[in-house]
Amino acid sequence: MTATTLEDDRFREAESQWAVETRGLTKRFGQNVAVNGVELLVPRGCAFGYLGPNGAGKTTLIRVLLGLTHADAGTMSLLGYPVPRHRDLALARVGAIVDEPRFHAHLTGRENLQVLASAREPAARGRIGSSLERVGLSHRADDRVAKYSMGMRQRLGVAACLIGDPQLLILDEPMNGLDPAGMQDMREMIQSLVAEGRTVVLSSHLLDEVERTCDAVAIVDRGTVIRQGPISELLAGASMTLRIECTEPTRGRALLEGTTLEAQIEVAPDGLGITLPAGTSREVIAEVARLLVEGGISLYRLEEVQASLESWFLQVTSRLGDE
Amino acid sequence: MTTVPDVGTASLAPTAAPSDHRRSPVPTFGMMASKFKELRKRRGLMVALVLVTVGIPAVFLIIRLLLHAFAPKTYGPAGGYAIYTALVSGVLYAFGFIMAATLGATAGSADLTEGVFRHLVVTGRSRLALYLARIPAGLAIIVPLVAVGFTIVCTVCVFAAPTRLSFNGVNVPSGLSRAGLESWAAGHADEVICNFDFRIGPSSPIAPVVNYVPCNNGPNGGPTPVTKAPPGLPAPGNAAQPTQSQIRGAASLIAQMDYPDYVRQFIYPSTSLMIKSGLWIELEVIIGFVVGLGLGSLIGQRTVAVIMMIVLEVVLTPILSRARIPHLSNLQRAVVGLATAHLAPGGLPVLGGGGGGPAGGGGGNPGLLPESTTVAVCVIVAWLVGWSVLGAWRMMTRDA
Repeated sequence: MTATTLEDDRFREAESQWAVETRGLTKRFGQNVAVNGVELLVPRGCAFGYLGPNGAGKTTLIRVLLGLTHADAGTMSLLGYPVPRHRDLALARVGAIVDEPRFHAHLTGRENLQVLASAREPAARGRIGSSLERVGLSHRADDRVAKYSMGMRQRLGVAACLIGDPQLLILDEPMNGLDPAGMQDMREMIQSLVAEGRTVVLSSHLLDEVERTCDAVAIVDRGTVIRQGPISELLAGASMTLRIECTEPTRGRALLEGTTLEAQIEVAPDGLGITLPAGTSREVIAEVARLLVEGGISLYRLEEVQASLESWFLQVTSRLGDE
Repeated sequence: MTTVPDVGTASLAPTAAPSDHRRSPVPTFGMMASKFKELRKRRGLMVALVLVTVGIPAVFLIIRLLLHAFAPKTYGPAGGYAIYTALVSGVLYAFGFIMAATLGATAGSADLTEGVFRHLVVTGRSRLALYLARIPAGLAIIVPLVAVGFTIVCTVCVFAAPTRLSFNGVNVPSGLSRAGLESWAAGHADEVICNFDFRIGPSSPIAPVVNYVPCNNGPNGGPTPVTKAPPGLPAPGNAAQPTQSQIRGAASLIAQMDYPDYVRQFIYPSTSLMIKSGLWIELEVIIGFVVGLGLGSLIGQRTVAVIMMIVLEVVLTPILSRARIPHLSNLQRAVVGLATAHLAPGGLPVLGGGGGGPAGGGGGNPGLLPESTTVAVCVIVAWLVGWSVLGAWRMMTRDA
């Protein structure tokens, strides 16, 4: 194979529509299966949340993807390059923070980036200044990392990712240790990276942040991906909740239970909570209101509560039942 | 439900990965330079390295210079051959190895313990290249430091050397030829006969002469017979008094007998010895660093690695170099400290050898377990290669 065709091959492999693609990826630690046949498809150019409770195997999957530990079974590719066969080519355009970002405490932020840049292509060294500026650390770049706060280390970790001009960023719990302002900065930074066409895979258990930041998510539980897709589609599949403020909620529940309505009805001091199956039409809501009013119950307020990622997450994961 | 996300956002145009030979096991100059900088910026470690490799010899020599300057009759010159051998084979040899091993263990484990190793691995750079970059980076620190310490020792030992040679307790001019020493001995016959080391039989023509010369080395400082003379000869005073010419002749003959020992004595180390021992010390330092690096990388932490290296150098090596353990002598020969001791330049006492006598490189020291130079070289190469392979293997297979 000539050098030219090798170059072509690099482009061809990098043209995959998936930033991350895994098939049956499995990682065991003794008897414990940390990653269990994971099938994950992360499209390019989006913010993708990888969600799961603590101990679900999020970090382990990231470590496997990045070659920090080996997989026991399955295949995977990053930016179209099969890993580990073309791991060097794939990781050349990947930036990652795994666990908490740690650095040489006796070096400054800039010197730490120089150490990391030396392992990348020569152009990486020239990106150090702009990376520091982008994460808002320029003014502290020449301070020793030992003096950095947790939030500053997180930002330095992102800067370390950016010096490689990555097409794919994999950030493991990037919001950890950040104050609200820091979380907002991080969220905006991730969104700006996505706006540039980069792909950001965000592992987190902070569902609210993921919902605000990401376009699509995968839910992992006990090492297995149980759902994945755009957030809007996933939430559309979640059950609908009606909150009704009314008089005589107990009689109201009895009234509704006497019908063919498929719903879970809970009585609250000031009214009713009605959980309807996913995909319930709006006509059903009108029917509920009509039944209650015709039964002589006064309605003060009827509200459709939008399913949040958090409530949906709790529905689909097993942790709630465990507790 | 598992659907393929279609988020409909623009993505960066696929680009070829940079062709910077990231998979190559050969480290780039930039990697070596940044590792060098990372190690050099460890203030505590650098202070310890400088203190031990440069500070201890420098402070020792400065104190001796000051003492000699203020009380020259009480304290001898700061430099000289004896001081040189003591500092080179005693201080720089042992402490240089330990400090090099400490630096090596730090280089081998710091990235891991400080959480930077995974950042480096995520770059896609060959782990072997990451390991190999540490070798020139660390050596670029420890080799010059030891060279500075060694240069200070050489400088002081040459320029602050005694003006006369102390041979068997007698101040003798240095650099004399055989005839010159004999001539000098004839002029200092009593000192030579009483102090120089010699053994003669009863039939020796100089026996009556040396036995006549009274030496004030008796129990109370009084005159006693020369004990080196064979028994049965008349005590001093009872024999016929030798002429002054006979006494000078006897002293010349003794000088002739001692000349082989005399030529091995120096006021200060020769240029040849300094070059050889400098290279030898650097070899020891390189071994210490490479083994420390491999061990640090293998076990993934510095403290245990350093303790093991100190035990090897200070406890195991002296014992295994001298003990005669039946059936295990070949195993003992595999100790790297014994191998380097056998490569010590002639004229330099080896570590733990009791000091003093010339070692005569290549196994000349009778106290050491015998080992050929070829075996010694093979042992050293095996240690360098073996520990490097072990350290690199662990780094390549370790979960980051």
